Amino acid sequence: MLDRQRQLRWPSGPGGALGGIAGVLYIAFIGLPIIALLARAAEQDSFWGAVTGELALTALQLSLVTSVISIAVVIAAGTPFAYLLARSNHWLARAVDGMVELPIVLPPVVAGVAMLMAFGRGGLIGGLLDDAGVDISFTTTAVVFAQIFVAAPFYIRAAKLGFQSVARDYEDISQTLGISPLATFRRITLPLAAPAIITGLGLSWARAIAEFGATMMFAGNLMGETQTMPLAIMTAMETSRGLDSALALSALLLAVSVVALAVLTLASRRRWSGRL
Amino acid sequence: MTADAGSRGWLRCRVGDFEMRFDWDVEPGRTLVLFGPSGSGKTTALRGIAGLLRPVGGRAEIGGQLVYDSTTRIWIPAHRRKVGYLTQQYHLFPHLNLARNISYGLEQSNGDAGQHRVAELLDTFQLRGLEKRYPWELSGGQQQRVALARAIATQPRLLLLDEPFSALDGGLRRTLRQELRATLERNPVPVLLVTHDREEALALGDEVQVIENGETIARGTPVEVLGQPGQVAVARLVGVENLFRMRVVSRHTKDGTMLLSGEGDETGFSLEVPLDGGPPATSEQDRVTVGIRASDIILSLLEPAGSSARNRIPGIVARVEPRAPGFTVELDCGVPLHCQVTGAALEEMGIRPGQQLWAVFKASSCFLVESRAGDRQR
Repeated sequence: MLDRQRQLRWPSGPGGALGGIAGVLYIAFIGLPIIALLARAAEQDSFWGAVTGELALTALQLSLVTSVISIAVVIAAGTPFAYLLARSNHWLARAVDGMVELPIVLPPVVAGVAMLMAFGRGGLIGGLLDDAGVDISFTTTAVVFAQIFVAAPFYIRAAKLGFQSVARDYEDISQTLGISPLATFRRITLPLAAPAIITGLGLSWARAIAEFGATMMFAGNLMGETQTMPLAIMTAMETSRGLDSALALSALLLAVSVVALAVLTLASRRRWSGRL
Repeated sequence: MTADAGSRGWLRCRVGDFEMRFDWDVEPGRTLVLFGPSGSGKTTALRGIAGLLRPVGGRAEIGGQLVYDSTTRIWIPAHRRKVGYLTQQYHLFPHLNLARNISYGLEQSNGDAGQHRVAELLDTFQLRGLEKRYPWELSGGQQQRVALARAIATQPRLLLLDEPFSALDGGLRRTLRQELRATLERNPVPVLLVTHDREEALALGDEVQVIENGETIARGTPVEVLGQPGQVAVARLVGVENLFRMRVVSRHTKDGTMLLSGEGDETGFSLEVPLDGGPPATSEQDRVTVGIRASDIILSLLEPAGSSARNRIPGIVARVEPRAPGFTVELDCGVPLHCQVTGAALEEMGIRPGQQLWAVFKASSCFLVESRAGDRQR
């Protein structure tokens, strides 16, 4: 079995050739801009100054804090919800299932406007929130709201597929062995769905930290409060020595994202991958 | 709540449009075989007893404890029923090694007692040295042993075995079947075994219930039910190769036999069969269905003379097909008659299509599957 995995294979015929050419083009298309970005960023004298400057560090801190809070909320609420979607054949669950992925196709700017119309001061339940003394729009809370809105579907979808890949029989057997449903979820379902869940976590977090449009509309661009990294890059571009600063911030955001995704990819590896 | 109590009850389960009714009563150390084709509801019955699906109604007792009663609304969830459940594909947990699979249900799997129990089971099931292996690193037979060890590790009060050998080949199947028999002798719990394999039912069952379309259509000892099935449906399910609809020509009370002849196109075909005992006795002109096992028929190159066998029927070989552990010869005797022979016999006699042969069998090899009074004929 191991031998079969180690054997190198390349499909023969037009499939192999066309696939190879397309692959090279794709790598170049994705790789060139990234190399260009890093090269230009490294060239300039003010790189370290920009990276360690107040604008960058404040924005980075805000991005990390808000995205971690958003993802925590997404995991806490999304995991049981995804499990329900994976296991239920109720028409209600099926109907909701279709709506879960709506934010993926909704332009983020539209999402921002929509959230403003719902939770903003003059919004649908804005009055209620105001009476309760809660103000959401143009605060850090709004940043978290915007991130959850756009990032949650990626996690829920991945977790749902992960749970679906775990045959119910494993859970059944576990229960007949005297393990309660909750403990079965912790000891069987969750570990077996973990690779898919971690992948979803990565996608979801990447989407949250990249969030721009909805945040811009619903949270604004206040340094230290709602100005996340993408907004800071935008702001830097508009200043006098803009490009240099934007380049530095972009390189920083890129590095943080790549490291995080690499860690998650390694964490999602399992000895038993593909043997469910 | 006594440790050696049996399991009994009845359930009505519904899965989608499919509904099944089922009752059982098994004493510790006894095995009840649920026999039937796939889709007949056998697995549903097991899942209902285990508490893995909610029945529409019924009552279930496991190890002397009432675990379900629809009238008094008693429902003990699956994880408190102490049932060992073995599935067709075993479903060993892929993220746990062999030892951890076996100890999974033990309360203190890392304690001394748990370790001791695992060691004991590793020895019993000849799995020593494989503790650290993962399920996919085990052979089919080893996986089956691990699944069984895991199921009995927690000392269940009822074992539910759903086609436990269906994923294995013949030889291994027989070996593991003997192992299961030995395991059950050491751990006398009540067992419900689902299978569609006649040999398995005969080898392991103390009792058999034949299930078709969610109903029990026959029950009794394996030899009664599977050896001389009383109904056409059961005979078909258990694989009686020859079934003939015939008419009673004459009854010979003195010999204890009766003469039957074929109906319609098959009028030339006649058989001497045992007189049926119990009422309602058949009378002349009644229609009956007769079953004959292919393995009960002897093939002869010449017309046998001086033989006590009451049925000697000539026929032409229509075709020969391999069927483990030998070959099935289809003889055209006016009706197709299936006869089971060994490979050696086939070779020695030089049996080939077109050849004339004689089929020889005793009257007592024929059994009445169903009888119907002459006036109620179709």
